[in-house]
Formats: sequence, C-alpha cells, structure tokens
Amino acid sequence: MKLFSLGLFLVTSLGAFAAPSDLRLTLNWKPEPEFGGFYEAERIGAFQAEKLAVKIQPGGAGTPVPQMLAAGQTEFGVLGADEVVTARARGLDLVSLFAVYQSSPHGILVREERGFKTLADVFGHEGQLAIQRGSAMALWLEKKYAPVKVKLVPFTGGIAPLLKDVNYAQQGFVTSESLLAKRQGAAVRTFLVSDSGFDPYLAVVAVRGDYLRKNPELVKAMLRALNKGWVSYLKDPAPANLIMGKLNPTIDAATFAESAKVQIPFIETAATKKSGLGSMTVERWRTLVEQLRAVKIIDKDVSPESCFATLK
Amino acid sequence: MLELESVRRSFSGREILGPVRLRIEEGDFVSMVGPSGCGKSTLLRILAGLDESDVGGRLTSSFLPRSTGFVFQESHLMPWRTVEENVRLPLELLGRKADPGRVRELLELLGLKGFERHRPRQLSGGMKMRVSLARALMGEPRLLLLDEPFAALDEPVREALDDELLRLKREMNLTVVFVTHSVAEAVYLGSRVLVFSARPGRIIMERSPNFPSERTALLRETPEFHRETRLLSRALRAGYEEAL
Amino acid sequence: MREGRTTIVHTLALMVPFLVGTGFLELASRAGWVESYLLPAPSAVVGTLWTDRVEFLAAFQDTGYSALLGLGVAVAIGTLLALVFSLSEWLERALYPYALFFQTVPVVAVAPLLVIWFGFGRPTVVASSAIVAFFPVLAGGLAGLRSAEPSLMDLFRLYGASRGRVLVGLRIPSAVPQYLTGLRIAAGLAIVGALVGEFVGGGGLGSVVDVAKTQQRVDKVFGAVLLATLLGFLATLVMGRVETWARRRLS
Repeated sequence: MKLFSLGLFLVTSLGAFAAPSDLRLTLNWKPEPEFGGFYEAERIGAFQAEKLAVKIQPGGAGTPVPQMLAAGQTEFGVLGADEVVTARARGLDLVSLFAVYQSSPHGILVREERGFKTLADVFGHEGQLAIQRGSAMALWLEKKYAPVKVKLVPFTGGIAPLLKDVNYAQQGFVTSESLLAKRQGAAVRTFLVSDSGFDPYLAVVAVRGDYLRKNPELVKAMLRALNKGWVSYLKDPAPANLIMGKLNPTIDAATFAESAKVQIPFIETAATKKSGLGSMTVERWRTLVEQLRAVKIIDKDVSPESCFATLK
Repeated sequence: MLELESVRRSFSGREILGPVRLRIEEGDFVSMVGPSGCGKSTLLRILAGLDESDVGGRLTSSFLPRSTGFVFQESHLMPWRTVEENVRLPLELLGRKADPGRVRELLELLGLKGFERHRPRQLSGGMKMRVSLARALMGEPRLLLLDEPFAALDEPVREALDDELLRLKREMNLTVVFVTHSVAEAVYLGSRVLVFSARPGRIIMERSPNFPSERTALLRETPEFHRETRLLSRALRAGYEEAL
Repeated sequence: MREGRTTIVHTLALMVPFLVGTGFLELASRAGWVESYLLPAPSAVVGTLWTDRVEFLAAFQDTGYSALLGLGVAVAIGTLLALVFSLSEWLERALYPYALFFQTVPVVAVAPLLVIWFGFGRPTVVASSAIVAFFPVLAGGLAGLRSAEPSLMDLFRLYGASRGRVLVGLRIPSAVPQYLTGLRIAAGLAIVGALVGEFVGGGGLGSVVDVAKTQQRVDKVFGAVLLATLLGFLATLVMGRVETWARRRLS
C-alpha cells in the first residue's frame, strides 16, 4: 500500500488538468462509521438536493490525501488536522471546513495481560509498538514519554499481530480497532492518546485554498449537505452502516453498530451543540501548531486562522 | 571390425537412415558422401555408440568401448580451457594419468607446439581443428570417426589437414570413418568410398579405387582420379534426384 | 588515444540530458511552473541530502547491507536448486512450479506476512529481498547449466563420464555467462525487495521514505529515492564488471 501511494505521489507530481463532472470526496481510510455522515448524505440525497454530483472515494493504508488535493486529484479530502498544518508549512494552501471528530479517538492498544496502567507504562517497558513513524502523534508521544524503551515498529493497519503476540502494542482508533480486537476475543486495553495532551481534530474535510476562493457557494452547498448527512447518521446509523458494510467487509455488522455508538461523544460535544457539527475554534488550531513546532515536524510558524474557515 | 546389419533410424516418425548393411575391417579408411540430411551424421553417432539403431538393426563391434575418437564439424573446444587442457580432456574422463611427454608429443605431431597455453579464441579455424584432432587422438583410440571436420576451412588448409590425417592414420594404426560433402576429398582419403542416397540414407554405391596407399597431391591430377570422382558424383547426383 | 577520447565523449553525452533535465526542473520550480509541494526543485533535494547526510548515509548502508544479505540467501538457495534441478528431472518437474511462485508473487502483498513470520527489522527485510532476488538466480543458473553444447555433451558421453563429471567439467563452466546475468538482475531486484521489506519491517531507505512521506517532506522522499537508485546502479555496475571479466576469461 505504501509503495502504491508512493507511486501515486510521484505520478501526480506534475499538476492536474482535468475538471471532472463529479466532485470527489476522498477518505483516508476504508468506509467506517468515522465517515458515516458522508455516506448518509449520499443515501438521503442531500448532495442531489444541493445540485451536487459527489463521488465518495474510499481510501486505505497510506492514501496520500494531501498530495491528492495538491495535484487536483480530488476536490475534497478527509485528513487529520495535524496533516493540514504540516501541509501549510510545506507550502500547500489547505483549508479545513468540517471536523467530524472534535476529539481524537486515537489510542494505543495493548494486551491486558501486560498489566499496564498508563500510557507511560507502554513506552517505559520492553516490547513492540506499531505506530506511524514520523507522524505528529508518534513524535509527540516519543517526546512526552522519553526515554522510550519499547521498540517502535511500522504500523501498516490491521490488528493481526496484536491478537497473536502479547508483547505487541499498536495505534488504533478506540472507535474501531479496539472494538475489533474485543470481538476477536482478545483482552485489549486502550489508552487514549488525547490523555497525553495531543488532541487534534480528526476526519477533517478540507479543500485547497484557491478552490475555496473560486467556488465559495459550491463549498457552502457541500457543507450543508454534509451537515445534513451527519445529523441523519447520528440519529440512525443503521442504513448507512449497511451500505458501508458492503464496501468494507472486514468489519461485521455488530461492530459497525457498536462503533457508531462509541464514536458519538467524539462527534457531538458541548462545542458542537453551540456552534454546530464539525465546527472548529482557533484556540484548538493554535495549540496544535505549537505542538507541531515543539516536536519539530514543522520549522516555521503557521497561522492558526489560515488553517480553517467557518462558512455559513 | 565393425558390422552393421539392417541398421535404421527414425526421428519423430520420419525415417532418416537405413536400412544400412556394412562391414568395416580394421585398417580401413572409409569415406562417406551423401546429400544433406541423409543420416550420415546419425550413422557416425551410432558407430560411436552415442545413438542406437531402431529395433531390428544390429551393430557388432570388436573395438573396445571408449576406444573411439570423434571429431565434429566444428572444433567444439571448451573456451574456458587452454589448448593443452582441451586436448587432455579424454584422459581426464577416462581416469588415466596424463603423461606430459606424450601430450607434448601429440601436440607437436599436430603442429601445435608453442600453442599449449593459448585459448581457443586466439586460434584460427584450422588451428582449432588441429586441437580437436589432437583431442580425439589423446585417448589412444583404435577407431576414429570424423563428421565433415574440414568443411568450414579454406582449401589449402583442408588439403594440408587431409594429408595430416592420412599420416596420423598410418602412424597410429587407426581405422577411420570420414564423412564429407566433397567427393574429391572422399576419393583422395578413402580406401573405400560409400555414396549414400537422400533420406532415408542407404548405400547406393561403393568403390574401392586402386590408388597407391601413399597419397600425394599429384594423385588429384590423374585421369583415374577424375574418373572415380565423376562416377561417384554421378551416383551422388542420382541419389539427390531420386529424392526430388 | 582515440579510445580515451571516445569515453570522454560518451560520458559527456550521458551527462547532457541529465544536466538539461535537472536544469529545466530547477528553473521550472523557481518560476513556479511546477508545484514544489509535489515535485521538489533539484536544489532542495540536494539540500536535504546534505543537511541530513548522516541519516541518509546510515539508511543507505542499512539498505545496502540488507540487500547484500538478501542476495546472498537468494544466490545460495537459487544456485543449489539450479544444480539439483539440472541433475534430477523429476525433482525439477515437481518443484519448479513452486519456484515460479517466487517470480510471480507480488512481494508488496506478501510483506506483511513476512513480518509475522520473521519479525520486525532486518530479518523481514532480508527475507523480502531474498524472495524477489531468488528466481533470476535459479533461472539464470538453470538456463546456463542447460546451455552446454550438445556436441561437448556427446564427447563426455563418448568417454563414459559420470553425471557428476559432466556437471563439474562441462555444465558448470558453460553456465557461467548466463548465471552471472541472472546474478546481475538479482542484485538489482534485491535492492527493490529490501525497500519493500523496509516499508513494513522498518529500517533503511524504505523507512526514510515512509517517514518523509508521512511528514510531507517530498524533498526527502526524492532524496531517498535517488539514493536507492544509486544503490541499484552501483550493484548493476559491479555485477556488470564481474560479467565482463568472466566472459573474457571463459570464452
């Protein structure tokens, strides 16, 4: 998968030309409740109602969403807030519009048998921890819990090694991988990464700045549709789950239902009740920029205001 | 002595050779001519023991196994070995100790003195053929089989090697079977000349011309020589036409 | 004298397209015709190679070492099997299809399995490298062993040589040119295999690419790719020399 994305990355490097008839929304993982509102919007005809033709493109391990946005391979992309900040630091003008996850559901999954009580324990003991090397989250955790005794190994998705090996730990979503592991019968404990202080918006819908400036009404229409989709999905996730289940057979229906339920507090918070689903604040972005500077993933300042736009 | 009875050979249903009935005495120099594809090479391989007649044919030989030398159309030397190492191959394979004196003698006999350490790629076609000859003789064969060995060489080289071969036959007391395209060469060399028909190859003429056993170049100019070659050439042509 | 001049001319001829291309790219980058986020200016790539040279050098050596080990394993097993197959036809018929599997299997798909069997780090990288490099060694060795001239085979038979003698005296020397060609191909592939292994197993230039891509450092990605290409080029150069030397010595 990573080789594929590298290839894609290199191939699309010479700029984009085609203006397709469909608007593309590219996800950064396979269809899961994390993206439920998008599929629901499609299902209830929210896009159609706004006169939009939208194509949802699922992703997988290593889908290069920022690069695809840069190359014009997709109009709308789903990625993490930390990726948006990094992209801006690298000279790519990305603007976030809608943050599905108000709080990061990222966790570190370990086997219960280890008897760990905190995140510090995970990093302080021998074993293997599969984590996306070089990511902001990884760098943050490595810094916070230094000296790191655990051996950091590449994370490529899935939970197979976790089920097999007691001394193996890995990153994952508390709304997804944790539930999957439980269903497979493994005694797994999940520590929320946000407890360490690193809490970026995730599943953020973003566009290129120039695209936003050129098509403000279209983008607003898209956001209205997405909003409708999410409101509907939060009320009843079952129909969209059915659709996504067919697209992603690796997760069974029961887990789909459970995941949709577990993720609600990450999506609906006091903030969203006040400012609407997907809304973002400049303070959160400012904190994120400072954290990314602290772990040296970016070496220049990025203006927090420029990272997102609130459209009405 | 070699005796062949009803020897035939087919490949993939096509009859290539036979039936052949032939008796070769020790000391004979048998020349074989025939059109391409008439199975001469196959016959030679059967004589060498590298191939077998089809059912019904029989080969009786008084020659001991492994006492046969073979010279191919191309010298087929091993490019990774020197001249000396190439010549020594039969002894290696037969498990006999190489007497260095004997090796040097043979090389000198074939005009290869000074070339012992050369690589085949450094030699001309004629020289390589001499090495191939030396190799065939290294194993002290009683029977020497040659399959159009000088065909790719220039005429003067060919004629020199023809005389060389006769000399070696005499000195080493060999029985020789020599396949060639050239009727003139066959007549010059052989005590017996066999003409083969086109495929399937059968013997359609045999001559044992009455020429002195010590051949000289002058022989080629004599009317008797021309008569023999004309006779045999006509038979050869008839053999060709029969096939058409 | 003339030969020396020709080599210089040849080298210059090789350099010209490269220099023109790189120069154009640099210009395009600075003028903004090319999105530097996606395609870095050559100066940026060179810059990061210099700035992070310690990291790059270590990664280069790491991948090179793994590829060397992988090639070693591939050569050992491939050569052995080529010899065995050349001696036993029924073994060849029975096992060759499995060997063919190594040619066709997409190692990218198999790599995660390798991690489960070999663990993270060098063992998986070497395994991945060996899997990819194995088949050309076997194919080259087998083809080479079979390329012995039939007339020479006849000659060996004429003197009653055993299978073993034929193998050592004739087949193996005949096999050298094609075998070495197989090795040259395998050497290049060993590097590719190592990189793929590193994506899932960690270490070397593969890791550098993985991290750089995650951090959206396209200049570093290109730098690592450049070094990987250099590694492959070196391997092919060395093997090419060996091949030329062998051809001269053995033919």
